[in-house]
Amino acid sequence: MALQLKRDYLNQKVLERLSTLQLHARLPMIGNVSGKHRSPIRGSSLEFAEYRKYVPGDDTRRLDWRAYARNDRYYIKEFEADTNLRLCLIVDTSGSMGFAYNGISKLDYARRIGGTLAYIAALQGDAVGLYCAGTQFHKEIPPKRSATHLSLVLDELGSVEPSGETGLVEVLHQTAERISQRALIIIISDLFFEPEVARNCFEHLRFRKHDVAVFHLMEQSELDFEFDRPMRFVDLEGGEPVLADPIIIGDQYRRAIETYIESMNEVIRDTEIDYNRICIDEDYGDVLAKFLLSRTPKKRA
Amino acid sequence: MNFLQPLMLIALPLMLLPVIIHLINQQRHRTMPWAAMMFLMTAKRMSRGMARIRHILILLMRTLAIAALIFAISRPLSGGWLGSIGLAKPDVTMVLLDRSASMEAQDLQAGESKRSTGLKRLAQLLEQGDYGTHLILIDGATGQLHEVDSPKALLSLPMTEATATSSNIPGMYETALTYLKTNNSGRADVWLCSDLQESDWTVESGRWDALREEFALLDGVHHFLLAYATPPSDNLSVRVKNVLRWQRGNEAELILDVMVRAEGNTAAIRQVPIEFEVNNIRSVVEVELDVRGASLKGHRIPIDGELTSGWGSVGLPGDANPLDNRFYFVFSEPPVRKSVIVSDDASIGESFRRALDIPPDSRLQHQADVVSVNRVGEIDWENTGLLIWQAALPNGLAAEQIQNFVNSGRVVIFFPPSQQNAGDNMYDTRWSDWQNPSDGQLFNVSWWRSDADLLARAESGDSLPLNELRTYRYRSLESSGTTLARYGADIPLLTRINTDRGGAYFCSTLPTAQYSSLERDGVVFYVMLQRALAEGCRALAEASQRDAAPDALTDREQWKAVAPEGDTVSVSQRGMHAGVYRDETYWVAVNRSETEDTAKAAGVEAVDALFNGISYRRIDVEVGDTSSLANELWRIFLIAMLVALIVEAVLSLPSKRVESEPIGDFAAAD
Repeated sequence: MALQLKRDYLNQKVLERLSTLQLHARLPMIGNVSGKHRSPIRGSSLEFAEYRKYVPGDDTRRLDWRAYARNDRYYIKEFEADTNLRLCLIVDTSGSMGFAYNGISKLDYARRIGGTLAYIAALQGDAVGLYCAGTQFHKEIPPKRSATHLSLVLDELGSVEPSGETGLVEVLHQTAERISQRALIIIISDLFFEPEVARNCFEHLRFRKHDVAVFHLMEQSELDFEFDRPMRFVDLEGGEPVLADPIIIGDQYRRAIETYIESMNEVIRDTEIDYNRICIDEDYGDVLAKFLLSRTPKKRA
Repeated sequence: MNFLQPLMLIALPLMLLPVIIHLINQQRHRTMPWAAMMFLMTAKRMSRGMARIRHILILLMRTLAIAALIFAISRPLSGGWLGSIGLAKPDVTMVLLDRSASMEAQDLQAGESKRSTGLKRLAQLLEQGDYGTHLILIDGATGQLHEVDSPKALLSLPMTEATATSSNIPGMYETALTYLKTNNSGRADVWLCSDLQESDWTVESGRWDALREEFALLDGVHHFLLAYATPPSDNLSVRVKNVLRWQRGNEAELILDVMVRAEGNTAAIRQVPIEFEVNNIRSVVEVELDVRGASLKGHRIPIDGELTSGWGSVGLPGDANPLDNRFYFVFSEPPVRKSVIVSDDASIGESFRRALDIPPDSRLQHQADVVSVNRVGEIDWENTGLLIWQAALPNGLAAEQIQNFVNSGRVVIFFPPSQQNAGDNMYDTRWSDWQNPSDGQLFNVSWWRSDADLLARAESGDSLPLNELRTYRYRSLESSGTTLARYGADIPLLTRINTDRGGAYFCSTLPTAQYSSLERDGVVFYVMLQRALAEGCRALAEASQRDAAPDALTDREQWKAVAPEGDTVSVSQRGMHAGVYRDETYWVAVNRSETEDTAKAAGVEAVDALFNGISYRRIDVEVGDTSSLANELWRIFLIAMLVALIVEAVLSLPSKRVESEPIGDFAAAD
């Protein structure tokens, strides 16, 4: 599939570099066409699945005669079905995603990750959908496989603006309910809410048998909090500004971050999601390469 | 607190610099869009506790560091206690120096006396600090006030040298008070350097109450007492109690009664050599001392029979107080003890004559003459020691002659006239009517002064039998004098008039049988008259012993120092230094008073109580301690500054990050 990409947040070199990699689901997917992903339904792919006893009515062409010669019993040899997947990109568009300290904002970074993954998924024939999670801006594009649909997703991704409080929690719960069949759900957000709230969302998605991957974006200055003078911090999500002296509260801030990350790690361990903490000054090409490679299924022995 | 560079304290407001910088910094905040507000709010909640205290402590340490630096540059002075006073610069500093003989007690190792070390330390303190526009010295020997140019001058003034005198501490304070009130002095520091000797302080005196009340009315007067209250550890003092020249044919000898007093932790019994020096001939006698000392009575020293008058001294080996190790004495042929009785009644005059004509010692010559009032002009005033006046009180020339007689050191006793005419007053005292007891009652003596004066106890310690005295009639007395014996509550029997020299007494009854049992019982009458005669004749002797005092040598013009040899004491200070002086045929030995031989100090609590209600601080010092009263404290402040900076640095250190899991390492999170 050849797409003429004009979205400036996509980098041609990164796309070419990642084109040799594929986006794999870690769980069997139920698609509507043949594809590159495992399916819980037996099919005719080359990938052997299992033996089962022959029952009358089975296609005799699928009898394993070698097994019969060895055991004098009839076995049907079953193969996995290859199917496509539904890639649902859930991008947090709250005001906090507009935070940029050294030029690039979290939402810019989210665009690049989301756009690149959408392109790779579409390239391998998977359906791509986009859900923008913000209280003031809420957009929902269900996954489809067409090239024009990809264009729509990319355009939409390029046009979203950060504003208001996050609506990610509601969107995650709604998405878990609305997407009826298994899908690969990729969440790109700064996750600025309590880890226990995130736990509920992730468990809900996992309960609906979705493959969940999270890109948790943060800026390095948010972690270090190293400022040498009092600052008036203006809440990007519209809250009251706060006047604080980082020298006084710096330690407490960093301790709060540590506590948050520890709690989030626990949530991740419990919910078994594919969690990626990203500092937005990292090269997103590397981040995605690492992400894609980590999801590549291991060759069976 | 005193400062050598007080102007530097102007910079003290700079200590607020860290707080001001902090406040300015708060105002210089930058506005920044921020996403991670949830962590910020959590941090702000957490920082309300220890973190805020830590930050306040950091500011405090910075403030303290600057304050300590400014104080260090200002060169503060302190001697521990001085630093806590917080006094401002005085307008007047008064130094009251106790120059009594007991102040010469030394630290044997340092060789410095209480007076000299106290003076040096005071001079050093005042030199370092600011003593105001006037530095006033009141020396305890003369009680006079001297303006001094600088604290250093205190060390070289003759008014601060050692003397053998006693000090009148309340008198010194009275002089200081008069000065402060007269000059309307503002802030004044009054320093007293003393060994708290009981006899000098007289803490029981009512003068202290008046002083305390007067000082309490003065604002800004602060009293400091440099107290050398510790008595010398081992000190002996020597004193000649009595000297008598005894002539037998061509041979003569001196008969001395010598007393050695021991103070401090003296060993129980030991031998001490006593050195006698008479007419440049020295002899040594070993005496055995017990804990209290020793007494050498009737020690005889042969002298040339032609030596009718002269001087000598008694000395002890060196010890803690060198000033009480030598005692000077003078001797001469005893004068004829002449007394004159002026009486308007021949029988009464005869009773006086009998009592005065009998000498208590066969070696003494007594002469008593009875004259009538009409023959007063015939009295040989120059050679008379005692005058008994039993007649109407005199006036005119006779009264003037009697006053001159007393002023020259002789004694007069007035007895009431038997007739009704009592005359005018004398010494503000007058006779009233004769009093007779009703219904055969007697007037008995209820109280008499037995510790001193004419009615004192005998040397054996026995009291005179005044309780056995029977008085049948007495004459009322209107007097402002000091009562020595009285009937009932306030009827005087014997009164002493306060005079600068000599003695004037009024006795309210007569010795004969129709008035009292004075003559019949005899003892009281005889002792009283003989003591008065001895006192009066002391002024007649060519040689006399005197206590060191500013006026000890004022009665004659041409006193020349005889001993000690090479004495460089200035003429104005002579009477205050122990020694022997001569004016033609007259000799005088000047020594410390007997009270200076006792090391008994007034209790510090009693001394402190004298200053109740007024600004006062006592500084206890030891005689061997020559350290400065005020030390420069800049090192302490510099150390305080360093400590404050170190604490500030420790508090400012960032908290330890967990190295194993850096917060920023997001890529390695899962």
